[in-house]
Amino acid sequence: MIKLTRIDDRLVHGQVAFTWTPSLGIDCILVANDKVVKDEFQKMTLNLAKPSGIKLLIKSVADAAVFLNDERSKALKILVLINNVKDAGTLVALVPEITSINLGGLRSKDGSKLISKAFAVNGDDIEIIRNLLEKGIELEVRQVPTDNKKFVKELI
Amino acid sequence: MSFLYLLIALIAVFGHSEDFLGTTLLSRPLILGPLVGLVLGDVTQGTIIGATLELIFIGNIKVGAAIPPDVITGGVLGTAFAIISGKGPAIALAIAIPVSILAEIVISGLFVFRPVFNKRFNQYAEEGNFKGIQRLHIFSGSLKPLLMGIIVFLALQLGATTMKSFLDLIPTWVQSGLQVAGNMLPALGFALLMNLMFNKTVAPYFFLGFMLASYLKLPVIAIGGFGLIIALLVTQKPQEKTIANEEDDFATETEELLADILAIKPRLSKKNIRSLFWRSMLLEANFNFETWQNTGFAYALIPVLRKLYLTKQAMAAALKRHLQFFNTSPYGSTLILGITAAMEEQNSRNEDLDEESINSVKLGLMGPLAGVFDSLFWGTFKVIAAGVGTSMAIKGNIIGPILFLFIFNLPHLLLRYQLTFIGYHTGTKFLQDLAKNNVMDRLTKGASILGLMVVGAMPATLMNINTPLKLGSDKSAVSLQAILDQMMPAMIPLGLTFLVYHFVRKNVKTTYLLIGLLALGFAGSIIHLFA
Repeated sequence: MIKLTRIDDRLVHGQVAFTWTPSLGIDCILVANDKVVKDEFQKMTLNLAKPSGIKLLIKSVADAAVFLNDERSKALKILVLINNVKDAGTLVALVPEITSINLGGLRSKDGSKLISKAFAVNGDDIEIIRNLLEKGIELEVRQVPTDNKKFVKELI
Repeated sequence: MSFLYLLIALIAVFGHSEDFLGTTLLSRPLILGPLVGLVLGDVTQGTIIGATLELIFIGNIKVGAAIPPDVITGGVLGTAFAIISGKGPAIALAIAIPVSILAEIVISGLFVFRPVFNKRFNQYAEEGNFKGIQRLHIFSGSLKPLLMGIIVFLALQLGATTMKSFLDLIPTWVQSGLQVAGNMLPALGFALLMNLMFNKTVAPYFFLGFMLASYLKLPVIAIGGFGLIIALLVTQKPQEKTIANEEDDFATETEELLADILAIKPRLSKKNIRSLFWRSMLLEANFNFETWQNTGFAYALIPVLRKLYLTKQAMAAALKRHLQFFNTSPYGSTLILGITAAMEEQNSRNEDLDEESINSVKLGLMGPLAGVFDSLFWGTFKVIAAGVGTSMAIKGNIIGPILFLFIFNLPHLLLRYQLTFIGYHTGTKFLQDLAKNNVMDRLTKGASILGLMVVGAMPATLMNINTPLKLGSDKSAVSLQAILDQMMPAMIPLGLTFLVYHFVRKNVKTTYLLIGLLALGFAGSIIHLFA
């Protein structure tokens, strides 16, 4: 079961390991990213950061979707991490179970603007976001579980 | 009086200067409380109030860019007003809670404002003007202490008299209600801590800590000692299996590159590396919501860059590189600084090196290391330090705050210093070894056992909630509390903590829980259910 799907460009870090994982009772963190899956160095650092007793899976976006759609993954309490808005769009198209996405952190890049303290989007991102909203996907901004949910609808 | 107010404002300035002082927890109410007490001539009262506030805010932690209520401004003002009016800890928290929430809004505003300077920072980088960057980093960093210092001074200067006469109007029953409510609030802090650490596998350690404190009346420091021994025993045996992905070969292009770098004799002196450690203390000074700790990172690295890059163009390129977004746990930041210094050194003598790889290593490490160090320091060292410190300070013992700083910062500074050299000399190999031997898993498990035992002891030692109810008629009346104590001492605090924890798990907002606890304590005091 997917407990949370989160966009966070730092992937596994303090907020994820230390607040989301215990608060949602997560037992499996799935990093869905086409680049990281090929980068042994990043895989090593992500493994370091994973909270103890948690299974960490690193898969390409396509493989992640296959895994999430597999009945066997339903027994796990999964936190899905992606590091950009585009992958969120892809994943939603492939995995019907995802109806809500948490916008955790996305650093500023060229041509982007902050829509909340820690989340910056550019024109392409906004297009994907509009698309997701049309599909009825809930998009909420929270860095940590105790933050108030802010809905993207009202921010862009 | 104005002079005293100025001194108190300076204490707030000192607290907010923590961003220049390595996030060493000098800003906690447990430390600032006694200082305010010292200025106002009542250190004992200041220590007690500081401990009371520390308990209420014990679950407030700073992870990533999530900004907790500003306990510095709230705590200093609350403590000062409480001592001036002679009303005690209950009044301090009645002031500190709303003030710290308001002050947090001001600070968030500042973090939104600070990126205004980024243009100037980039311009300095373009010119290779490292002095400009250093100056602006310190200037922008000083805005927070200065601004909050002025707010505290004005609040005291303009509000002290009104506040005192207002507080004098408060009837006794309201005060005793506040007192009981205040004694209940730590349940929220404990519940927030439990939310971070509590799960089925480590739950027994929580109850072990509780029972050692409630039945055996052991002091928190002893429970910390037992916790350490148990944690060592439990995690001693290295697990056979290695990390999830079986391949032993971590070597990638980045890795090979790093290996090459480390094979070459270093040009940077010990002094250069040590300066990374000292300068890392200012990492968070210019924290902002756009580029986070970027200027702090550049500031720390500047002496190394100066040694390595002698031309203006080279310096400019390096400065620009390190003004990119950065954010990690300050406690482990020196490891990344050390690794970066090694890579910059290589870059300075090898034209072919892909400069982008420096940033990719930096950015790759910052998130994961923040995860590791935030949980270790906030989840374990801070918890133990606060548990031991407040349990002494709540009785007015000034050793409490001192021990608090000592327990947290001894491991912090030793590790932070060592990591600088480890990062420079061994690069990411150190991390690989950690990953291969499953050290991290054992460390975090041990740390959570130790932390949770101390959290378990907290309801029993740090919450003073009793019931004055009596069973039976006048003469043969039996105190309900005595019966409860025979079954399980500190039963009410434990029950209350779990009740709040239950709501925290249900994602009920912290503010509602705070108000709920205040109301429960208040009502309970009026109908003589709690005392």
